[in-house]
Amino acid sequence: MTTHSRTTTYFRQPPGRGPGSGLFHPALFYRSEAEYLDGVGRFVRTAVLGRGAQALVVVPGPRLEALRAHLEDLDGRVTWLDMTEAGRNPGRLLSLFREFADRHESSESRPSIVGECVYAERGPAGTVEALRHQALVNVAFAGRRVSVLTPYDVTLPESVLEAARRIHPVVTEDGVRRTSPDFADPLDVCRSFDTPLPDPVDPLVVEFGEHELALARGTAEDWASRCGLPPARRTDWLLAIGEATGNSVRHGGGRGTLRMWRAENSLVAEIRDDGQLTDPLVGRRRPDPRSPHGGRGVWIMHQLCDLVEMRTGPDGLVLRLHMAVG
Amino acid sequence: MAMTSTAPAPAPPTPQTDRHSSVVFSDDREWAGHLVPFVRAGLERGEQVQYFAATTDPDRVRGVLASAGVDAARAEGEGRLVVTTAERTYLSGPAFDPDAMMGLWHQAMDTARAEGHRGLRAIGEMAWGAQGVAGADRLLEYELRLHHEVFEALPLTAWCFYDSRLVPAPLLAQLAGAHVHHRGAPVAGPVLRLEPLPGRTGLRLSGSAGYDTRSAVRSAAAVVSGSPGGDVELDLSGLRHLDISSLATLAEAARRRSRGRLRLLHAPAPLRRLLGLFPELGAAVEIADR
Repeated sequence: MTTHSRTTTYFRQPPGRGPGSGLFHPALFYRSEAEYLDGVGRFVRTAVLGRGAQALVVVPGPRLEALRAHLEDLDGRVTWLDMTEAGRNPGRLLSLFREFADRHESSESRPSIVGECVYAERGPAGTVEALRHQALVNVAFAGRRVSVLTPYDVTLPESVLEAARRIHPVVTEDGVRRTSPDFADPLDVCRSFDTPLPDPVDPLVVEFGEHELALARGTAEDWASRCGLPPARRTDWLLAIGEATGNSVRHGGGRGTLRMWRAENSLVAEIRDDGQLTDPLVGRRRPDPRSPHGGRGVWIMHQLCDLVEMRTGPDGLVLRLHMAVG
Repeated sequence: MAMTSTAPAPAPPTPQTDRHSSVVFSDDREWAGHLVPFVRAGLERGEQVQYFAATTDPDRVRGVLASAGVDAARAEGEGRLVVTTAERTYLSGPAFDPDAMMGLWHQAMDTARAEGHRGLRAIGEMAWGAQGVAGADRLLEYELRLHHEVFEALPLTAWCFYDSRLVPAPLLAQLAGAHVHHRGAPVAGPVLRLEPLPGRTGLRLSGSAGYDTRSAVRSAAAVVSGSPGGDVELDLSGLRHLDISSLATLAEAARRRSRGRLRLLHAPAPLRRLLGLFPELGAAVEIADR
């Protein structure tokens, strides 16, 4: 260990280990509803009553009801949202958190957020993106006076809890708060999630350049209609694909490949091009709709789709847009 | 006070949709087939006929008319026929300027009447629009605005000659589609079609707007921000899809408009969805729910 890192270890508090000057981003591993209500309840109560802050609580529906009942004396200072709706696509959450933090952060106030984004019903692909969101909280709020608590049910797969130990600088387990020895660079953690995506069976393929963009949109619309996607969702599907294919032509080397297939409960559109994703936070902040440079298209995809997977590497950029059906 | 004007009464205007037409041809025989009857009919009606060539030698125009039995030399001598070029007339400035063009048409009509003609008809070769002329990117805006600002105000008849050998198919589709009336070879519809709204300031948009149609959307935005008058309307009943960039471009044009608002008729689901995500884009826009 060099002198420099020793100095760092002794004299500078690593980010997020306590609600000091910067981001505080702890995990809560809970075994029971009582532990859950106690841990989350204490976090919210301290923020609201102790520091006079505003709180945003985004947890899955059943837990939301229990928490609201437990914290009913705080109503008015807490914004409650159902994770299965507001965070249906985990790629939307950071934008939501940032809007809340931007509105309430000040030298006197430390906005506090509870976001339980990994839950059993997520499924494997959604869980990876939920964990990616957690890692990106460290990047987006670095140095900010914001607290973000993430509860994890200990019955989640061990791989999820391992990832949580790398994402969160502190973990409360069995009621005891400890510094996590596995805490890692959030961008390294994100990269570890960039595993190859499974190959689809018999997808519909449209190769497109600028002159085939209309064909790609038309094919996407017709195919979704044949698959029984209701009109309102078809609008969202087409808006997302329109932005993604347009981005391929504009930023991704002038052309791309659209593949569409039916997964278990959803339609999936994959857009592949020669682009690169240089900013891991792209599309995770509400953009100025008038600016073409703010990740407007990606943000729209995150808002409209039930899940957005993104992979970048030497072969280019791959986006997978999921839309639940039936 | 009695009417004492010595100018002949203007001829009754021919039906409005006929008076501003796109004419698409792919060879010289088709070109002559449109040219000769148009000129002959104009001269017979006592209208002044003006031909603005872009790629055709004016002497060829005269030759073809003469060999078809039209006394072009005499008509030219008497000022009833004018054969000139775009380059010598409306393209002689630094750049093609639709705003100036609207005034030129009104002037040309006044002049024709003052000289005793019963009306004015014109043919314009439009191939310059595909040849890198400064301001050519405003040709679509011009074609769209002409309908309301010139043809609904004046008994003018004008045919826009599009040579399909010289204008690439997508541009041809866009420009021909901007006319309420079309003659000659059929042209496939553009991805995003823009047409004038009869009787009103505005446009009808149909099809699908995306990154590929950004140039047409810019033209629509130019019509929205630049058309004179009060409110401007966009009929979107035929619009199936649009992207955020198209909406932002139109919203910005509405904001720049000095007078009146942009009214959107029959706003389609994707537009409503995008306005739901970005309500700020609706600031200068009125959604008409009819």
